[in-house]
Amino acid sequence: MLKVINGGIETLVEDWPGRLGYLGKGMAASGAFDNVALGLANVLVGNSAGEAGFEITGGFLEAEFGVDTVIAVTGTDTQPALNGQALPMWESVSVSKGDVIKFSHIGPYGFRSYLAVAGGIDVPPYLNSKSTCIFGSYGGFEGRKLEAGDEIKFGEPIGNLSELSGRKLKSGAMPEYTNAWVLRAIAGPNTSPDYVTEEGMEHLFSHVSKIQHTSNRSAYRLEELPDSFFARTDGGVGGSHPSNIIDHAYAIRGALNICGNTPILLIADGPTLGGYMCALNVINADLWKVGQGTPSRDTMRFQLSSQEEAIQARIEQKELLSEASLA
Amino acid sequence: MEKNVNAIMPGLCARVVVEVGDKVTKGQEVAVINCMKTEFSVASEYDGIVKEVLSKEWDELQVGNPIVILEVER
Repeated sequence: MLKVINGGIETLVEDWPGRLGYLGKGMAASGAFDNVALGLANVLVGNSAGEAGFEITGGFLEAEFGVDTVIAVTGTDTQPALNGQALPMWESVSVSKGDVIKFSHIGPYGFRSYLAVAGGIDVPPYLNSKSTCIFGSYGGFEGRKLEAGDEIKFGEPIGNLSELSGRKLKSGAMPEYTNAWVLRAIAGPNTSPDYVTEEGMEHLFSHVSKIQHTSNRSAYRLEELPDSFFARTDGGVGGSHPSNIIDHAYAIRGALNICGNTPILLIADGPTLGGYMCALNVINADLWKVGQGTPSRDTMRFQLSSQEEAIQARIEQKELLSEASLA
Repeated sequence: MEKNVNAIMPGLCARVVVEVGDKVTKGQEVAVINCMKTEFSVASEYDGIVKEVLSKEWDELQVGNPIVILEVER
């Protein structure tokens, strides 16, 4: 059990791949914003990579452990401390009943830390997932971010705790963080020549865009596109702006929605349909980078990818998120 | 001696709620940061008097940027 002393900026229970199969009902998949950091944390403590953990956005979580267990912290370096002593990240560590873990502010790279616990988190799955959809107020722990006084139960560890402690990652298994994220993406469905000019596509796959401060688990907003991006003068029967089209389903997670002149990456808790064009999709294997992109600080640039590259990258990521990554 | 109240996360300064000369106590909100379409309170870690206000509404802030300078007792 974890007793929350301070919930920090935004701490949520999230698993992976989240709540799949309900887009048709208007329900986003949610799930860990950075599935790689969550997955590696889980592997370190002996869980399956997709088990639920704590997603700590912006830092400042402080909590007391109610049992002896094994934990791992990954993601941005929020300078975690256990009973005031620096806690190593990206490896599994034993903790005892009464120990207090405290996170500070985010590090120079990345925006989210993950805390995995041996046995995972014992919250009731809702529609086959333990993930919190914060904008729908369902799933996870009471459908909300953690607050002081919350007590969250843990699951049963797989294996002996003493054997789970002290595990580290192989060299090269730890993802590289940056302030300038490059996201591989597949163009479409609304592109050149019908919706976007050639010049617009060139801009889309070359412009380095700062992540706007309004970005959150629903959407990551980027810098406005020039008017020359659009091939049409209006949206026809879809609306007056050339970004308008007749309502259609969005391919979340990872669709780049063009809302007016603002490109918006639709992600974890994003909308499932709407009346704006979508110009590209970030490949599944690169979605984790969006979760570590820091609003008001980092930049993003899209790099044209192919279906073949996307499939191969996903296969390689699946291999990464396994015990094969342990030293 | 002087102590800063710094930004706890990146975002835009929504407002500074103290003025030069105000008495501030530890834990008191001195500013609000807007990020992720949510407002986050920035509290003072010290008792003191506001000596200088360095940020204003819409200023972009990074973690550690000073928002307010306090004069605190040693």
